Amino acid sequence: MRRPDWAPESIDIERPSVARMYDYYLGGSHNFAVDRAAAQALIAAIPEAPLMAQANRAFLRRTVRYLVGAGVRQFLDIGSGIPTVGNVHEIAQQAAPDARVAYVDVDPVAVAHSREILSGNDQAVVIQEDIRHPERILDHPDLRKLINFDQPVALMIVAVLHFIPDADQPAQIVKTLRGPLVPGSYLALSQASHEGRTDEEREQAIAIYERTDSPLAYRGRDEVAKFFHGFEMVEPGLVWVPEWHPDTPESVEGAERAVYIGGVGRLT
Amino acid sequence: MKSQHGGPLAGRVGYATFARAWAKAITGTSYMPVTQAELEAFLEGLTVRLVDALFAEPFSLRRGYQIGADLVAAHIASAEGLGRTIEVIDLRLLRDLGLSGDDMRDRMARVLGTVAIGYARALRDRTLDEQESIRRAALVAREQAEHALRESEARFRHQATHDPLTDLPNRTLFTERLDAVFGRQGTAGRRLGLCFVDLDGFKMVNDTLGHHVGDLLLVSVADRLRRALGTHLVARMGGDEFVILVEDTTCTDDVLKVADAALAAITEPSIVDGHELRVGASIGIVERPVEGTSPREVMRDADITLHWAKTAGKGRWALFDSARNQRELTRYALSAAMPAALDRGEFCLDYQPLVSLTNGALLGVEALVRWRHPQLGVLRPDHFIGLAEETGLIVRLGSWVLAEACRQARRWADVSPKAPFVSVNLAVRQVREPELVDEVTALLQEHSLPPDRLQLEITESAMMSTADESVGALRSLANLGVRVAIDDFGTGYSNLAYLSKLPVCELKVAGSFVEGLRAPAADPASLTDERILATLVSLAHTLDLTVTAEGVETANQADRLRAIGCDAAQGWHFGRPSHPSDVEALL
Ligand SMILES: C[S@@+](CC[C@H](N)C(=O)[O-])C[C@H]1O[C@@H](n2cnc3c(N)ncnc32)[C@H](O)[C@@H]1O
Repeated sequence: MRRPDWAPESIDIERPSVARMYDYYLGGSHNFAVDRAAAQALIAAIPEAPLMAQANRAFLRRTVRYLVGAGVRQFLDIGSGIPTVGNVHEIAQQAAPDARVAYVDVDPVAVAHSREILSGNDQAVVIQEDIRHPERILDHPDLRKLINFDQPVALMIVAVLHFIPDADQPAQIVKTLRGPLVPGSYLALSQASHEGRTDEEREQAIAIYERTDSPLAYRGRDEVAKFFHGFEMVEPGLVWVPEWHPDTPESVEGAERAVYIGGVGRLT
Repeated sequence: MKSQHGGPLAGRVGYATFARAWAKAITGTSYMPVTQAELEAFLEGLTVRLVDALFAEPFSLRRGYQIGADLVAAHIASAEGLGRTIEVIDLRLLRDLGLSGDDMRDRMARVLGTVAIGYARALRDRTLDEQESIRRAALVAREQAEHALRESEARFRHQATHDPLTDLPNRTLFTERLDAVFGRQGTAGRRLGLCFVDLDGFKMVNDTLGHHVGDLLLVSVADRLRRALGTHLVARMGGDEFVILVEDTTCTDDVLKVADAALAAITEPSIVDGHELRVGASIGIVERPVEGTSPREVMRDADITLHWAKTAGKGRWALFDSARNQRELTRYALSAAMPAALDRGEFCLDYQPLVSLTNGALLGVEALVRWRHPQLGVLRPDHFIGLAEETGLIVRLGSWVLAEACRQARRWADVSPKAPFVSVNLAVRQVREPELVDEVTALLQEHSLPPDRLQLEITESAMMSTADESVGALRSLANLGVRVAIDDFGTGYSNLAYLSKLPVCELKVAGSFVEGLRAPAADPASLTDERILATLVSLAHTLDLTVTAEGVETANQADRLRAIGCDAAQGWHFGRPSHPSDVEALL
């Protein structure tokens, strides 16, 4: 008998998960030996890998603060990861207690963990879904209950699209997700690029992620810029993530080694 | 801030400077969800507490522990975070704050020790907690995935075993359940019943009201069957075919009740898409002990029985009857074997005398076909002529009979100038064959047979049902000089007026009339038969036809027929059908 495509896959924790590797880079312990082994292999190849992850996570924090400041109260965070430190709902609700956050991740363990963290918070939900099915995300009843698409929404796709190869048409995915957004909504997006890195580093990273649940698809700045099609870039545009609204002038040092490119766009 | 120790007071600037240096030292050791300014403010607060701990009298372990724990709680939580913290405090705290004292080295060592202990303990707890929570999440995720898998499997299994339109079990599930009945332990003494249900006239609904209405009707029928038959398995086999499995019947009646309930449920009128529809159904039923049969056999027999119900007029059930089935199977086998048998020469002809009632002379013989079946022995025409007519083989068989009879007639003509004519029965299909005239002509020529040595018998009903062209063919044959007789006269409509227009020279009166003459002449019924026969004979004579009575079995019958004026007779009294050599002996 052939299994139909709606039959779920089982959980494979024998394979490194990019969500838990990322937790390890950030200094967390929400990870297993396989995840740490893969993360350590990457650190051996690129010693600044943890710093790069931290810089990306800091970018996420700054964008959320910026967006709350801009009046946004609804967040759709896709590829939200293991809720470790500095989650979107914590940052947003600290600044605006009425902020609502819908988390989406494909990793079932990350989702189960998020669910536990969020139990009792009726201003946040978590949905297990692949970003490759944007319409399923948008139509999800839990999301529809929390997010009102008549009001601006901040679409967060931070450090996710480098797990989506061109064959899966990431630009089309973003376009679909943009569909229901009203003017005044935002897109905050970052992704790993190969720019500023040697070929060797890049190849090693690709080889290591090949063994995980989500292989890498690096993109250059021009390609990342295309994801913002239809949005008006917020200053300073698409930059190395440390350069985006830095807290201090020093934190910009060595930004070109940060791997992650990111920015925020506004729907007008 | 005033030290309890009375040590020098450090200015705000010193604290801020130190906190900035501290923040810088730990930046990048792990992710901290705060701005640099927030981090510095937090560390400045800790600096104040550090200084307090340094000068506290008596020395308090707890202050150092708490500072370590608070660092971890603020996500400054890594080995590097601790190392750099100790390094920066030891190197810069006293200097940046302008602090000094006699036993400063000792105090500093003790404070750093307690901070490190508090930090390490907190980091260890945090690590353990996080490990526990991620394991729990993995467990939950796995359970959910397994649950979802089970659910999807159940859904998949349901889909694989149910009909999507009606949601009734499908053929797969039905087959499983039926097989299970046979696979079960202790089938001895158990019985089962099966109803094969087929809607009557469903195709009409589909054709006239469309497939959509047809589908809705099927759904409605399925619902009614489900409701009416509750515990019995009702499956949709496809199209408008359903099957009901009745397990553990005690007798045939059990399944008949189910069939009646099914018929009643199906015939209930239903409103479908605004149309009030009423359909009927036919049901084939099998009920028997489980032992000694097989699922395939049960299914096959139920299917056969369904056909019986259909041919019996629909809207009813039929119960399987193995004797009937056996007969039909034999018929089928015979029918299938006949063409090859004809090729192999398994057919032969017997001949029965037709005798003159006036002088007892042998006028003719009727050729009667026999099948010498290798297993079943000699079969008489009533066993196979009907089958040959159904399959159309009758034309070929009839031709063979005709040719064989002509050959035989020639032989007899060679033996004696008084040789009898041969009378051959023609089937309707043969009469309708356009080649018939040519065929007969050719045979007569081939055997140089005088045409009046051949008689063709056509039944009255066949004659009445033949079209004008066929009558034309008979006329041509009659014109050639071939005798044409009406067989079985009196059993059909007997249109006497029509008779006068036909190219016929003889009537063969059916045995059933002659039968009446067996009774004593005083019997009123017998007398009636005799009068009818007498009228027939005189009428035939008026039309210039001779009359032959069939089925004459006694001398008494023969006498009475002779008295009426009947011309000739045929029957056991005059001779049974026999081998051609027996006829030859008579010549
Ligand atoms: C590097 S983490 C980013 C976490 C968070 N957005 C941040 O930037 O701090 C990437 C996350 O994307 C998730 N992810 C990878 N492929 C995905 C997909 N196809 N659909 C949804 N999430 C995906 C992973 O499970 C992981 O949790």
